[in-house]
Amino acid sequence: MNTILMALVAVIPIAAGAVVAAFAMRKISVTALEGMTRQPEIAPQLFTAMLIGMALVEALAIYTLVVTLVLAGKIVVS
Amino acid sequence: MFGNVWTMDGTGIVVVVNALIVSAVLVGLGWFLARGKLTSGVPKGRQVLGEFATDFFLKKARGMVYDYDRDTVVQTVTPFLGTLFFFILVSNLFAMIPIPVVNRPPTSFYSVTLGLAVSAIFGNLVVAARLKGPTGALKHLFWPNPVQFVSEITDVLSLSLRLFGNIGGEYMTLVLVAAVVPVGIPLILHVLGLIPTFVQAFVFTLLTASFLASGLHREERSRKAKHRVFRRKKPEPA
Repeated sequence: MNTILMALVAVIPIAAGAVVAAFAMRKISVTALEGMTRQPEIAPQLFTAMLIGMALVEALAIYTLVVTLVLAGKIVVS
Repeated sequence: MFGNVWTMDGTGIVVVVNALIVSAVLVGLGWFLARGKLTSGVPKGRQVLGEFATDFFLKKARGMVYDYDRDTVVQTVTPFLGTLFFFILVSNLFAMIPIPVVNRPPTSFYSVTLGLAVSAIFGNLVVAARLKGPTGALKHLFWPNPVQFVSEITDVLSLSLRLFGNIGGEYMTLVLVAAVVPVGIPLILHVLGLIPTFVQAFVFTLLTASFLASGLHREERSRKAKHRVFRRKKPEPA
């Protein structure tokens, strides 16, 4: 019972982090695509800005992954 | 299987040997590109490749010459940013090599990414001290906001965790999937993993350059600028 509880709690951070990051990335990519269709000549700059935005949001999701890894390393079979 | 989550391994020798192999590759590449006669006219052949490699960092460095000596800024900042980018790029690409132990990119260890982030932020301080003098560089850490140095510490954490999470997570996924399905799916993961390889090297260097630029930036305040008032143009006499 303890093991099951520990395993369930260990998986919550990455699940929540991935969902929230997905929503933020959706907004970033939709805005970038709309800008690219509006003005195709600045598409490379928009692409660069989109990549940087995505990397920063992804970093937040990765902090939650690190929390999950630490918790998963502490699961003891009892 | 992975041991401690930070080293992800039992022994520490793999980190050191892989990082040394990356350094050897970089030194070999640099020696190869700088051989022969280099002209400052129209380049040809090998020199074009070398200039293509350093072009991006030169442009970034030229954008940071606020009112410092241009040669000092460009010659200090360009190798700093270029080394960070190429070290991270080459070491991320190690995940593509088919040899078993060399397979492990050194940036998939938290020790390497923490070291890279600390040397990037500390290098920012050193470059700022070189250009502004040591008191100017320290003043930047405390002046507009007395707890600004905490923002530098969180920069270290975010840079290192971002790189470690992307590349270490990619490596862990590869190992775990290859233990279940040895053929087919790891190939797709390798190809998909090429994207974070390039993006993370680029983002690390770009963020370091942004922190450096904001550290070097000096607010020049003049009395005239403070008292300037917007005046509408008087309408022309009819």
